[in-house]
Amino acid sequence: MQKLEYSRVNETLYHETLPNGLQVFILPKSGFSKTYVSFTTRYGSIDNTFVPLGKDEIVRVPDGIAHFLEHKMFEKEDGDVFQKFGMNGASANAFTSFTRTAYLFSATDKLYPNTELLLDFVQAPYFTEETVEKEKGIIGQEITMYDDLPDWRSYFGTIENLYKEHPVKIDIAGTVESISKITADHLYECYHTFYHPSNMLVFAVGAVDPEEMMAFIRKNQEAKTFDKPERIVRQFPQEKMESAVKEGSLEMDVSKPKVHVGIKLPALAEEGVEGLKHELAYQIMIDLLFGKTSKFYTEAYEEGLIDESFSTDFTAEEGFAFSVIGSDSAKPEELTRKIQDTLQWASEKFPFGQEDLDRQRRRRIGFFMRALNSVEYIANQFTRYAFNGMNLFDTVTALEALEVKDLQEVLVPLTDEQARTVFTVKPPAKGE
Amino acid sequence: MFTETRLTQGVRLYVRRTEQFKTLTFSIRFKQPLTPEGASERAVLANILEDSTETYPSRAALRQALETMYGTLYYTDVGKRGGYHYLSVNAECVDDRLIRDEDITDWTIRLLADAVLRPNLQDGVFKPQVFEREKQTVLERVRSLYDDKTRYAQQRLLTLMRPEGPESIRATGEESHLEALTPEKVMEAYRRMIGEDEIEIYVVGAVDEKAITASLKEAFHFEGRVPAVLPEKAARGTGKEGRVSEKQNMKQGKLHIGFSTPVKFGTEDFPKMQLANGIFGGFPHSKLFMNVREKESMAYYAASSYLSRYGLITVSAGIDAELAEKATKLIDEQLEVMRAGEITDNELSQTKAMLANQLREALDSSRGQIEIFDQYKDLPGGFTPEGWIAKWEPVTADDIRDMAGKIDRQLVYLLSGKEESADAKA
Repeated sequence: MQKLEYSRVNETLYHETLPNGLQVFILPKSGFSKTYVSFTTRYGSIDNTFVPLGKDEIVRVPDGIAHFLEHKMFEKEDGDVFQKFGMNGASANAFTSFTRTAYLFSATDKLYPNTELLLDFVQAPYFTEETVEKEKGIIGQEITMYDDLPDWRSYFGTIENLYKEHPVKIDIAGTVESISKITADHLYECYHTFYHPSNMLVFAVGAVDPEEMMAFIRKNQEAKTFDKPERIVRQFPQEKMESAVKEGSLEMDVSKPKVHVGIKLPALAEEGVEGLKHELAYQIMIDLLFGKTSKFYTEAYEEGLIDESFSTDFTAEEGFAFSVIGSDSAKPEELTRKIQDTLQWASEKFPFGQEDLDRQRRRRIGFFMRALNSVEYIANQFTRYAFNGMNLFDTVTALEALEVKDLQEVLVPLTDEQARTVFTVKPPAKGE
Repeated sequence: MFTETRLTQGVRLYVRRTEQFKTLTFSIRFKQPLTPEGASERAVLANILEDSTETYPSRAALRQALETMYGTLYYTDVGKRGGYHYLSVNAECVDDRLIRDEDITDWTIRLLADAVLRPNLQDGVFKPQVFEREKQTVLERVRSLYDDKTRYAQQRLLTLMRPEGPESIRATGEESHLEALTPEKVMEAYRRMIGEDEIEIYVVGAVDEKAITASLKEAFHFEGRVPAVLPEKAARGTGKEGRVSEKQNMKQGKLHIGFSTPVKFGTEDFPKMQLANGIFGGFPHSKLFMNVREKESMAYYAASSYLSRYGLITVSAGIDAELAEKATKLIDEQLEVMRAGEITDNELSQTKAMLANQLREALDSSRGQIEIFDQYKDLPGGFTPEGWIAKWEPVTADDIRDMAGKIDRQLVYLLSGKEESADAKA
């Protein structure tokens, strides 16, 4: 077991790669009553075209299958896994993102029975045509629920228009139509391909003894047999940096229009501290352009173009990256123009200097320290970075190494006019 | 959990020294009886206090200072509990020891004192531009409830059930009252808040209790006050009963059902009712989730909440509107089953374990420690997490049966799409 000390933030991380390829990380946090354990596979909604384990040909599976599979993992021949966690007083959950599916629990008691339950239920698939059919009703309602959320529709509408073919444009849950095609065989095929331990990571954080926990997981894994790990062949369409659709809109029953500007960005190419630096440079640049202390924010807020719903988002994974900026706005066209003008202004003459960087650096260092109060943040972010070849605990090092020229570099793709799209959710036209 | 110090009459300080977090958390809470007018004034006041101070007289200046101080969080908030409205002024800063070269704690205390005692004024009142902008922001927040159909439906349910009570008054105020505000009125509300409200100051983190108490005493000198208490409850008619359906342009049906119960927060039966609600619909192992979602595949979510201060239990489910009748029946059946005493040992022990876990888990954040302690601290005998968990232990299936007998359905509210109504089958 490897012991990694991060003295700047007073944390010690324990790590081991098990013989079956499973990565295990443990971070004890003193003073905490709960332990949060997540078991994550590097498999998300975008992984819809791949070579199934043991086969030679590429297949394309129905949209929404990773999320469907996540739901179905909880149902077993002898009942519902939530019930079993409930007996142990643990709250269990799961989520599917573009690139990951995570299963997790948090508990203040019965840590080992809960850990065993987590490892075992994720490693014992049970799908029948009957249970798959039944789930379609539940997920259908989940999709309908999202259909009625204007913020989600606006955000996703933006991403959809940025990409021509890349599967990041497809809603994580799929559609009622696409999930209707899912069969138990599909689920097994995806499961066997992507849920091999060598494609997965366990993170345990909180009230946990690292030696004991590592021994427990090791023993649990040794008792199971797995196929030999194989490199997973996933296929993604290559596409230009130009946004696929420049403008889109949707009518919904909202009190005020919602507008989002999307910017398609080059995918993360580097790993390690360099990769982190690159990502942080994007985040800081977006803050400087649109954050609460920016010229844009001050003016737009005073002019009533934005309100408390204003947000900026930056998403980057291997294979794709984008930023989405938006707000509820009574004047969506004016707001869009102001966002575009701000990008134009910044691209003409770089308006920021050392002082701006230093201030944002300090802010981010503080943010990171505060985030380390949250066991959920640590486990989820650590896993995300690990799957992208980075280490969450290099954050302070990367922040300290950032220079103004790193910011200048990321401004170029951020201000590329061709890479933009605008999406508006409008209230119904009067008289309808 | 917290060490209590009385700073003056009506002003108390609660400090919890812990090494658990990398930050120090501060919360100053002002409490007054809840009215729609008062909530509206204070919602705008909270926003004005968050915008700027005398020392940092613009939003950007204040935000830049916060960034420089390692991203210290500073925000205000409003909320309600029972018949009271709360305005809180909050900050969270990095523990000085992790940064070394700065005195962030002292700076943060100064900022809080500035925010509360030295606001950004012009000619003795809040600056008109700041006032106007923040009034607008709060108005927009209030109106945006319409866009979130689940929250909207819940608010409609409460308004229909308790049209005049604190149950349906929103802590962020009401449109008509917000519209009528002036800088002078909000200034007056500010003066009353500082001079008359009951005040509670919370600190959580690696602090020296004596030193922090001295610093806070020096930074804030509040005058003694006799806090207002809730007037004796005037006899209030309850609102609508039966069924109400409303339509908007949307796809999913939002089914919200309201139940009333005489068992409220702080009563003898309160812990039993917490368990009864947990068995009914508080968790993924509960009857509602297992039957409405898992067995019938009718919903993605189906859950109940116990609004213990108001003696209400509400159920919400996102369903196909055509199945509303069936879902309502199914939800009723779950309660019937409980009234008949059909509660398994498993359900009982799972729910006890889940409630205990939920409580202990919530205490793993500084905000959670403040929230939970603040809620329970005035109960007779004080509050410790383990002490409270012990109250759930002896509860039996018979107790749950009795509690289920004290839950009465009052109103079924359905918000659904217009198209469905046109095609609705007979």
